[in-house]
Amino acid sequence: MKNIFKLPSVLRFVCLTLIATVVLFNCSEEKFKESTDETLNITEFLRANTEQYSLFLEILDITDYASFMNTYGTYTLFLPTNEAVEAYMADLGVSTLASVPLEDLQELAKLHILEQKIVTTSFTDGKITSPSMQGQFLITGAVNSADGSSIVVNKSAKITTSNVEVGNGVIHEIDEVLRVATKTLAETIESDPSLSLFTEALKATGWYEELDRPITYVDSVPSYLSVIAQTNAVFEEAGYNNLDDLKARYSHLDDPMNPEDSLNLFVAYRISPGLNYLADLAVTPALLTKAPLEVISIKLAADTLLINEETFNGILEKGVEIDRDPSDETTSNGVLHLVKENYFIKKRLPAPVYFDLGDQPEFRQLSSVYRVPGMWASLSDAELADVTWEGSPSVTYSCFDLGSSSRPGWHGDVLDILRLRDGYINNIEFNTPVIIKGQYKVWISWRQNSRAPNSVRAYFNDTPLARTFNMTEYGDSSTPERVLESQGYKRHISPFTSRYNCRLLGVINVETTGRHKFRLQSLAYAGGNSWFDVVEFRPVDMDQLYPKFEAGGDGLIYE
Amino acid sequence: MRKKIIYSLVLIVVCLTQACDSYLDLQPENGTTRDEFWKTKEDVQAAVIGIYSGLLNTPGSGTTIAEYSFMYGELRGGMVGAGAFSSDDQRDIITSNILPVNSVASWGAFYTVINYCNTVIDLAPDVLALDPTFTQQQLDQYLSEALAIRAYLYFTLARAFRDVPLKLEATLSDDDNFQIPTSTQEVIFAQVVTDLKAALNSAVEDYGDIPSNKGRITKDAINAMLADVYLWQEDYTNALMAADEVVNSSAGYELIPGGPSWFTTVFARGNSIESIFEFQYTPENRGPFNEIFLNRPEYLADASVLEDVFGLDFEDPENKDVRGERASLVPGTNEIYKFTGLNVDQRKSNQESDTHWFVYRYADVLLMKAEALNELDRGDEALEIVDEIRESRLAIELTEEQVTGADKHGVRMYILAERARELAFEGKRWFDVLRNARKDNYAYIDIILNVAIESAPANQQQSIVAKLKDPNSHYLPINEYELYTNKALVQNPFYK
Repeated sequence: MKNIFKLPSVLRFVCLTLIATVVLFNCSEEKFKESTDETLNITEFLRANTEQYSLFLEILDITDYASFMNTYGTYTLFLPTNEAVEAYMADLGVSTLASVPLEDLQELAKLHILEQKIVTTSFTDGKITSPSMQGQFLITGAVNSADGSSIVVNKSAKITTSNVEVGNGVIHEIDEVLRVATKTLAETIESDPSLSLFTEALKATGWYEELDRPITYVDSVPSYLSVIAQTNAVFEEAGYNNLDDLKARYSHLDDPMNPEDSLNLFVAYRISPGLNYLADLAVTPALLTKAPLEVISIKLAADTLLINEETFNGILEKGVEIDRDPSDETTSNGVLHLVKENYFIKKRLPAPVYFDLGDQPEFRQLSSVYRVPGMWASLSDAELADVTWEGSPSVTYSCFDLGSSSRPGWHGDVLDILRLRDGYINNIEFNTPVIIKGQYKVWISWRQNSRAPNSVRAYFNDTPLARTFNMTEYGDSSTPERVLESQGYKRHISPFTSRYNCRLLGVINVETTGRHKFRLQSLAYAGGNSWFDVVEFRPVDMDQLYPKFEAGGDGLIYE
Repeated sequence: MRKKIIYSLVLIVVCLTQACDSYLDLQPENGTTRDEFWKTKEDVQAAVIGIYSGLLNTPGSGTTIAEYSFMYGELRGGMVGAGAFSSDDQRDIITSNILPVNSVASWGAFYTVINYCNTVIDLAPDVLALDPTFTQQQLDQYLSEALAIRAYLYFTLARAFRDVPLKLEATLSDDDNFQIPTSTQEVIFAQVVTDLKAALNSAVEDYGDIPSNKGRITKDAINAMLADVYLWQEDYTNALMAADEVVNSSAGYELIPGGPSWFTTVFARGNSIESIFEFQYTPENRGPFNEIFLNRPEYLADASVLEDVFGLDFEDPENKDVRGERASLVPGTNEIYKFTGLNVDQRKSNQESDTHWFVYRYADVLLMKAEALNELDRGDEALEIVDEIRESRLAIELTEEQVTGADKHGVRMYILAERARELAFEGKRWFDVLRNARKDNYAYIDIILNVAIESAPANQQQSIVAKLKDPNSHYLPINEYELYTNKALVQNPFYK
């Protein structure tokens, strides 16, 4: 190396040049792109595709929305093609977009834009979860026609190209302009001649004004309403040809404007708060109505939606079918559905419900375990549809051996929760069977265990019940049973064993007929198993002791 | 001296700068080139075994062909639900919410193995001239295996995607044309039949050991495939003939009577007398099943399967279909058990999880025969087959259907229901539903719609049903990546 520096200057120069050449020029410079992303934003995308979308672009330009549709964000744009906008103009009878009132155009443009990025995979049969910027919700679905199936928006605008990703969101091209619903529920119902009797009933009961109010917001909760209307033909079938027939049948106070009049209730029972499209109904087992504390139950049977199809005391009551095609009609303040038959509030008297906590559909499926002596099975929270709890361990269904000292529970089985306490399993919540509205006394029975929690509180729909119960306490087999009852205990099984105990938890007022929540919360430490037998909901005016449950069997034992 | 140093220095530098531009002739370090391979019959045999190895665990594909077969055949059939570890793409397939970016609709693994087959078919014949110990008969046997596997893969692709590119030559260099348009399903099916028939001529009847007889292509496996394709082509006479070839085969297939060890014999161990063609996973070369069904379950049996498919006798829990509880699934948790169980009580450990993937079993062929018989207006004979299977499997009375041989559609639905019981989770259900629905120009599309109504989420049911009324929607989209790389492809019109 030293030798290089001893070289004559010419050669030194040659060397230096060579090295310099190699170092400087051998690597060719790479060209880096300086922008990170060349994806177009929505407005740019429209400008780049004017042959298809120039008219919608014009709308954005007129309404001054073009610039913000080009800002970064997460938008969903339902983009009508030029043909769609032309059809819209023809429908309005205008030749240029400029002659449409600016306000209308603004509303229209905003209806096509959502402030969240929503791709078609999250569409359901009902409304898109976030509203359009106009405020109204868009509904999605799918239709099949001669040229195949398409996703549709607001029942008729077909999506022709979906999920086009742009820099600030996603675009779905549609073949029809979406229209802002301008009529209120009342106006929509009135404008349909086949709903004339229903309209009369609305007017006679004063609900017409209610359905004619524009949307208001209370604590940012919109005042949407959903109406289940019925046509004249349906009324006729049920024997009502005019308002007088209806009044004669229902208006027992002869004052339809009175909220307690049955005709008023008849109408109120068809109106429910909230914006409930059919897809929402399909996943809502019980729907509140404007009739005080009355709910309708909704059941999806195959592909029909049935109102008030229930099994009470083993008897199936047929439901009323919702007419799918004309339903899901969006209005400015709600949604309108139609039914195929007349229905009314069912008057039901409170009836006892004996809720065996182990009787869960998932356990029932285990036919080699369920109510088979000596068998047990454990399922986790995710596997049980009607039970939830805090903590990850699973709960066990256990049916005792015929000879077991624990056998005398009703059906011979219990729901077994190992360590009902904080940090293991606690706050276990059950969906009850349907309970008819009314006042009930609630009793709970269990198999005694000295390692079970000595203080457990029950909640009915999040309201704590008056008494806690002690699962380490034995049953009392000596005190006369009516005396015992007055102390809040009873012998719920027959023949009785003191290994089981039953406690009165309190009186509840069940406000709506339907399924409710029943929760158990341990207030104490538990080192061992808690074995639950039955939760009884007995109407207050019913005998609280009889019928008793057959110990180790399925029967009821009457006095 | 100094000059020498200078000149050598200059020379070195010049060499170094020049080297960057020159191509060096390199041989790959981790493989053999074509010039060195394809010389002897051992090379051909290695290549053929390589096809099977590719079928079991395809190099370069994170998902095995067995899992793709499961997904394509089961996810849309209404008997499988999403597990805790399902990907969004898998869930979207279950709910018919399929976009072209869905990764499940990726056919790369299939074409990788198809290319292995093509390579054997193209290059093996030349070895005949190079290796004098290689006989024409051996060559034909190897070709038969390659042809049959290629045919089966195309058959699966055409059932899942309908129109797919048909490539019958090996891809050997980067200069090959990759821009191949799709061929229609009919063309693919016709090619599959042609290939299978060619394969049949020189197919092996007996390799001499059971794992080879069940794990490599035999005459019976080819006939089973033929019966299946003919059913899709609605060519019932030929389907019947092909199925009969298997039924009367010298291998002597029979149904193993249902009993405590039935599950272990047929599924956990595999290669039973009921088996025709299985992917031979071993403890050393394991399948994907413990991972996808047990450790991180991506798929579960639908909650209604136990009761609706196999039937539940609430009166007598001992009265049960041997194929249901703890054979196909675990009640309560709805875990899919067929591929992870060792016997009715225990599962296989991860190290020994070697359950095979069952491509064709004897009962499958019997039911295909029944289907062909029924379509040929021989319903009574079809019912005899169904009864034979039901008796052997201890099927319970609740799932028995009172149909007569004259009630063609009744028998059709009965066979379909029996196939659901017999072949649960074996990658058959959706294809069975689709094949029956598309008969006679989609005269029975209600079969698909009813499956959707039963299994769709309540708030998407109507959309799903409307979508499924379009036959285009019954096939998967071409993955967007493929459309990007192959400009000759045209997307299925449903996925606009």
